[in-house]
Amino acid sequence: MRKTAIQTKDPHIQALARIVGGEKSILYKKEDLIAYDCDGFTVHRHLPKAVVFPKNTEEVAAIVKYCHDHDLPFLARGAGTGLSGGAIPLNGEVVISLTRMKRLLHVDLENRRAVVEPGFVNLKLTNSIADRGYYYAPDPSSQYCCTIGGNVAENAGGAHCLKYGVTTNHILGLEVVLPNGEIIEIGENGIPDPPGYDLLGLLTGSEGTLGIVTKITVRILKNPEAKQTVLAYFDRVEDASQAVSDIISAGMVPAALEMMDQTAIEGVEAAAFPVGHPKDIEALLLIEVDGISAGISEQINEILHICKKRNVREVKVAQSEEERARWWANRKTGFSAMGAISPDYLVQDGVIPRNKLPEVLKNIRAISKKYGLRIANIFHAGDGNLHPLVLFDARKPGETERALAAGSECLQVCAAVGGSITGEHGVGIEKKEEMRFIFSDEEIVAQTDIRDVFNPKNLLNAGKLFPTPGRCVEMKQVASSIK
Amino acid sequence: MSLRESEIKSGPACTTVSLGNYRFSDPPDPSKWADCVHCGMCLESCPTYEQTGQEQHSPRGRVHLMKSVGEGKLEITEDLIDPIFTCLDCRACTTACPADVDVGGLIEQVRGQIRQAIPLTGWKALVSDFFLKGVFPYPSRLHLLGSLLKLYQKSGLQTFARKAKLLRMMPKHLAEMEAILPEVGVPVRKKYKHTNVIKAKGETKHTVALLTGCVMDVMFSDINEATIRVLTRNGNDVVIPQNQTCCGALHVHAGDRETGRRLAKQNIEAFRHVDRVIVNAAGCGCMLKEYPELFRDDPEWHEKAEQFAQKVEDISKYLHDTGYDKPKTELNMRITYHDACHLAHGQGIRQEPRALLTSIPGVEMVAMPNADRCCGSAGIYNLTHPEMAGAVLESKMEHVPQDVELISMGNPGCMLQMALGVMKYGRNQKVVHTVQILDWAYQKEEGKEVRI
Repeated sequence: MRKTAIQTKDPHIQALARIVGGEKSILYKKEDLIAYDCDGFTVHRHLPKAVVFPKNTEEVAAIVKYCHDHDLPFLARGAGTGLSGGAIPLNGEVVISLTRMKRLLHVDLENRRAVVEPGFVNLKLTNSIADRGYYYAPDPSSQYCCTIGGNVAENAGGAHCLKYGVTTNHILGLEVVLPNGEIIEIGENGIPDPPGYDLLGLLTGSEGTLGIVTKITVRILKNPEAKQTVLAYFDRVEDASQAVSDIISAGMVPAALEMMDQTAIEGVEAAAFPVGHPKDIEALLLIEVDGISAGISEQINEILHICKKRNVREVKVAQSEEERARWWANRKTGFSAMGAISPDYLVQDGVIPRNKLPEVLKNIRAISKKYGLRIANIFHAGDGNLHPLVLFDARKPGETERALAAGSECLQVCAAVGGSITGEHGVGIEKKEEMRFIFSDEEIVAQTDIRDVFNPKNLLNAGKLFPTPGRCVEMKQVASSIK
Repeated sequence: MSLRESEIKSGPACTTVSLGNYRFSDPPDPSKWADCVHCGMCLESCPTYEQTGQEQHSPRGRVHLMKSVGEGKLEITEDLIDPIFTCLDCRACTTACPADVDVGGLIEQVRGQIRQAIPLTGWKALVSDFFLKGVFPYPSRLHLLGSLLKLYQKSGLQTFARKAKLLRMMPKHLAEMEAILPEVGVPVRKKYKHTNVIKAKGETKHTVALLTGCVMDVMFSDINEATIRVLTRNGNDVVIPQNQTCCGALHVHAGDRETGRRLAKQNIEAFRHVDRVIVNAAGCGCMLKEYPELFRDDPEWHEKAEQFAQKVEDISKYLHDTGYDKPKTELNMRITYHDACHLAHGQGIRQEPRALLTSIPGVEMVAMPNADRCCGSAGIYNLTHPEMAGAVLESKMEHVPQDVELISMGNPGCMLQMALGVMKYGRNQKVVHTVQILDWAYQKEEGKEVRI
């Protein structure tokens, strides 16, 4: 850790350093900033102007007010694990890193809620209350390191969101610093669903464009009484997806219902947490049911029966918590595991009606062939949330562009069968042009109008979530507002 | 054509291949960073990220930085030193990484480049050269230093220095270190200088060589003695090759790969005639197993290093795998175990030492949360980065259970650091090496009085 004083004459950096209390809480040298030029989405890179590390809400507000008053673009960042580029400083922003605001402020078991700072890591919440029999349900695969603040911004999902819902279903209250530096509270005292417009719902998933969350009240749940996990190997992907449909239409709501295809299996088996899946199967399903003990084994039996009816090659129930944990570690590190078989990857996040799966997978195989790039599929099958992972090598000229085009085409396929372009990773930079696959220009303008109520100067995380103006309506609006 | 081939073969073993802005020979291996997809799963495993919340002090950030230099986007400058040298080289990120990125290996290679591009100057250079080049590679000088230390401890000078508060003149972290220095004994290398083989008790099953280590043998010769007793008790003839030297880990961590290679060659030669090299210091064991990394551009020595690395084993794993007498007398103690980074993350040895301990009757193991979190020792990191090492130690100590008598581990550097933690935070545990506990159990079984 350096001890030297601020070594720049830039008055903004000096002013920001004063707000956060000195040189240990600000970065401004190129060597330090490079680590912040992208997040989990590595295709676009841009250096920030500076990175500041506030310790509390007041410091965040003071930074924001300074940026607002001096027309400096700025954005918030947690662990930087987002997959759509939401934390990338496209415009040379001042990055407000919330990693030092990482306290668990309050646990209220009686009312089943907890209050955390935005930099608090998702899994740590469950770890802190597990001994008392409680947990926090949203479990994005990056939960080992991603922050709850980031989860709110992206409305993160996860394997167990099939039964329990995504982040927005678990947020009871927020303290927010608005883009002008004003501090507001929404859903005070954690009373759910306050009268008036659903501002909690609006803020959650706003991808850091409406304000910076500095305190979060979340719902915590009692651990289910019982839990069983099934692993099923299928020779044909059609059979696997048919089994998914059968399970849902039998009226069951598993806690999780995950699928991986052959390429994905190759990746996870080559990486750090292999399970020993056969490499010649076309798909595997990882199914978990939980709830009160009574009825769990009936559900498991029914699932086993369905898998057998759909020509499963092998199906087994986890015999121990250790075995279950191994299956999940293998699945949850699935994206990162692609590093073992490819230098770079791009993950897409389409949502499709479940019965369209075989058709969509067939189309994705055709896209893979067309662009000469391998595509692995990891899939929250239960809720139709597909993650095609386009494998590429950024060092090869033109391959990044081909990967982007292939990814975009995958989303087009999803939209064409009546689905959507994102389930849980957000739009960010990555999918903002693809917003046109599902929204008309008028619909997009209706949304940017909402943004402008909160963020009129558009200094906060500009250039994300919506297509850049320059086409049709928004441009006309800009023109008319100038007149 | 054939002429050309022979020219290539007779060329210099270490070729000067530059890579982006890495302009010296032995540049980092780009295939190592190619595995990183920037997912961030490593972040929470990193002690320096935990302390700073800053990504240039995280594994992912460092990999990104090192890659940027390799791609020519960044020069090697003074400002690169802080992120690259603040890494503890604890390898926790390697365990956490789903894609098995070898961050530790990259860090060491890049430090080699930085130290050639920007050599140390001033007093730092003097101190570093004195210890790393002048003392550690020479057992006689190390032993002299040990003798001086012993003189200091026994002559009353230490008592005088402490009473006269002379230590206040030293930087705080050095004074703290002085306070926890163990009592210096006789190095086993010296003791067994004229003994070819220390015979097994009873029938000889194996013959093994012991790496005595440099610091280990001066500061903790009693652990080396315990190691020899435990080995001979279990049917091992023990040899101590006299021409062995320091493993070179401290040099490689500091970016002096040239000295590292020199020491590696000497050790490879010294242990040429044995089948097994037993190590009781995790940092040294890990280094010996990684000798091939130092000779990537030298096929002949690479091959030798590979063969050598196959022979190296940590004492706990060796005993666990080859079998050992389970002690029969009870040793009624509550013990917690700390995973030395270079044992758990570096060599993947976690269960074996715990199994040794639980096989002793009467031992009650108390799990330490985050047992494989670095203690901040990290070779001489606690001397070069006292502030960060202190912060890392503080969060380590928060996880050490209160109600235990012993904290057991397999690395001398950790032992010094954890002893410092015990002293600093007013705890009352004794810090011991795993093999010492086994040794005590055997001694008790033989009816000897055991002083713990």
